[in-house]
Amino acid sequence: MYFRLNPECYFIRGEKCGAIFDLIDKKMYTLNQEETEIITLCEKNVFVSKDQKLLQELQSLRLGRFYHNGIYVQKLRFGSPSRDQQVDKSSVVSRVFIEINNSCERDCWFCGCHGIKRTLGCMGCNKWKEDGKPLSHDRWKMVIDELRDLDCSDLFITGGDLTLAWDKTIDILNYADGRFSNIYIVLHQRSLSETTVDDLRNKAKIILQTENPKDLRFQDTSNLLITAPEAWEKTKDAIDDDTMISLAIRDSNCLAKGLSTLFKRDMFANMHVFLNNIKYHPCLGHTLTICNNGDVLACPMMRNHNFGNIADKELHTILEESIDKINMLWGLTLDKIEKCTGCEFRYACSDCRAIEENLTGRLKGKALCSYDPQEGKWG
Amino acid sequence: MFEFKTATGNAYAWDDKIGLFVPFSSTMAAIINEINTLESVPKEIVVQRLKSSYDEEDIALCYDWIVKWRKIKPRDSPPLQSLKVKDVKRYVLKHCLDQLILNVTESCNFRCKYCAFSGLYKYARIHSNRHMDFITAKKAIDRYLDLSKQGQRYNPLKKPSIGFYGGEPLLNYDLIRKCVEYIEDQYKNLRVKYNMTTNGSLLDEDKADWLMQHDFSIGVSIDGPEEVHNRNRVYINGQGTFRDVMKNIGTMMDAGYEKLKSLAVFDLESDLFKCENFFNQEHVPILALVNPVSESKGSLYYNRFSDEQRLAFLEQLDRARKYYIESLTDRRPMARFSFFDAIFGDGAQRLLNRPFTILAPHQIMPFTSACVLGKKIFVDVDGNFHACEKVAGSFPFGDVEVGLDFEKISQILNNYYRLMDKCPDCQVKRTCNKCYVTFATDKGLSCLSSEICQGIEPAMSDSFSLALSIAEVNPRYVDQSDPHISDIKKYYGE
Repeated sequence: MYFRLNPECYFIRGEKCGAIFDLIDKKMYTLNQEETEIITLCEKNVFVSKDQKLLQELQSLRLGRFYHNGIYVQKLRFGSPSRDQQVDKSSVVSRVFIEINNSCERDCWFCGCHGIKRTLGCMGCNKWKEDGKPLSHDRWKMVIDELRDLDCSDLFITGGDLTLAWDKTIDILNYADGRFSNIYIVLHQRSLSETTVDDLRNKAKIILQTENPKDLRFQDTSNLLITAPEAWEKTKDAIDDDTMISLAIRDSNCLAKGLSTLFKRDMFANMHVFLNNIKYHPCLGHTLTICNNGDVLACPMMRNHNFGNIADKELHTILEESIDKINMLWGLTLDKIEKCTGCEFRYACSDCRAIEENLTGRLKGKALCSYDPQEGKWG
Repeated sequence: MFEFKTATGNAYAWDDKIGLFVPFSSTMAAIINEINTLESVPKEIVVQRLKSSYDEEDIALCYDWIVKWRKIKPRDSPPLQSLKVKDVKRYVLKHCLDQLILNVTESCNFRCKYCAFSGLYKYARIHSNRHMDFITAKKAIDRYLDLSKQGQRYNPLKKPSIGFYGGEPLLNYDLIRKCVEYIEDQYKNLRVKYNMTTNGSLLDEDKADWLMQHDFSIGVSIDGPEEVHNRNRVYINGQGTFRDVMKNIGTMMDAGYEKLKSLAVFDLESDLFKCENFFNQEHVPILALVNPVSESKGSLYYNRFSDEQRLAFLEQLDRARKYYIESLTDRRPMARFSFFDAIFGDGAQRLLNRPFTILAPHQIMPFTSACVLGKKIFVDVDGNFHACEKVAGSFPFGDVEVGLDFEKISQILNNYYRLMDKCPDCQVKRTCNKCYVTFATDKGLSCLSSEICQGIEPAMSDSFSLALSIAEVNPRYVDQSDPHISDIKKYYGE
């Protein structure tokens, strides 16, 4: 007999072990080395015994089935592989951060101006030491028009403390309203008031940054909790699954063991995420940032990867001129990242490139993971 | 689910709702029938109803998988509304403008027996001595490059491309040079790509050098070895053209010019095996395309063949297909693209890798493979804009004086939707390769898909069967057009 996994089930092999990802039921099944070898043979259409316990179990789980002849199984996908390769398809910008302000009266130790200290810093506010004049109010409106013409769907308006120039923030938000599928606005918990919430109602979703789990009280906000690795174990049970966790690392020499738990929590076999991660970096793909001075980046936290400046150029010109650099970052799948490349979880895992680059000094380096794909073991 | 079987007897189905081929079985077909008839029917009842004809365990297994598979929610296009001109313009600027094709002459020094302009095709023009003049070409170029510049705001990576077509375009070589010099002079910041389709007879050393200097992609028509080529591709005086063409392409072949590709055509008398051997030779340009002589509406070309010839060809085609599938076992991906790859393998790769899965095609062209008008702009010698060289004259949508007429494009597309009456219910619509050519007559677009596509599903079954047969024999060959497959399978040890 032959045994093949179903179209919706991807078998991903790492250096030692493998895993099966069921993209419909969003489940992940880890395999030991022996099981990995068996499934490898099956997926290569090698004849197998129907008495094989593992295969019977997989069939009973509805992950695959036996066939009398060798068969071709087309895997579930999203879109069209051959059309994806057309050159002009690669410029799809779906998520853009605009830093319309670079001022803040607070001095948080994990703020971007002190270096890259945390994961998911993009979802929080930061101020930056940067050169050049801020873009004018009118230029920001033109940026919004340009993003609309590029079919950008998600706009993140961020600072600095946006409430310091609230009228300007609201004016830009009003201009963007209706031009994007989703608009998010990033605020620190201490800047939030009933008035600001009212001003944003029905126009933007608030991403609320806080260091204190007790502050996660606003129901209409998405929450970003900044926590130290050592505090994570104590707080994780009190936090709902939707809260984004930003790990702030004061001393990179003291990385806590608990990190592995955190990253397992973030692993999932969601169909769209998994299939996207085969082609693009899980976070950088299709993402741009426009800094307060007009610099164009991919990630707000990766300031040294600069594609150009829109102070006196249109955004589409930067995209055209720098597309190779942009595609290099967007296409940095975990297949290209040290250590991740040999990991069976590489399409289901998250990755904060900004902090990894900062911790390792290498664009493709990896520090924040305790799984060893060569041994198939968690540390 | 549209069922079919491969050469090995394996059963598959094409799921047009999702856009994927899936392994299938008669048990699955019976279960789907039960589910569709009874609606949300529990597994136990289905097992009860079918167990006399099918294995009980298999029924349960298939039932669970079908229920699971139906959890996928394809992203349907919203129902078609009448198109608005501003939406069409935006779409064209973002997604179209792939190529301007200048028909620089209607004249040709060949009289190929199957030529689209030979008079054998009811709705096509015939040869004439009319050339395009520079004023017309210049206006067309200005219109196109101006739109391309506007389009960059919507799609920064789109690069303008200009093709030169005929007749034999090199009969108006001076115009081609003038056009390129004009673009280089007036549009210095634009990187324009050039291409040309030629019969190769006028491609002397000077022209070849100039075309290579300007990085032209060149398609040269070569049908096969001398006896195959000369049977149809002849000068006006009836003499064969093979030796002149092969001599002329020598300059480019010697220079190792990789942008020179062969375009081949075959008919019922072609020796396919000889063609396979011929195009595998190093001194012959690699194939870009192989097509049968068109059998489109109103074609008289095939009247010359007897029933015996038709049967003999089908027998030869069958032998070739079997030979190809057998030889595929050892075939490496990325090997030189052969004649049989073009007529068998390429179609298989396209069927497996081109249809959209889960996602729906854009609402502006939800059915068929037709381009949205403006994707290509074919300019005839008088300066009128057409969808492509194959439907020239039938339904123009602008000219060099007014530019692209977006109002007209909207009208034509709205009419096209009306004609595609069978498409919403078609079981193979995501794999459709039909376009305007199929539905156009000399009166424009006027044929209903319910008339043209009667019995299209059974007709696709052969193509599906061939594609999956090839995939069974050499999955790496069909998967090679997905660039990420090697990452996914990198530890499979293949």
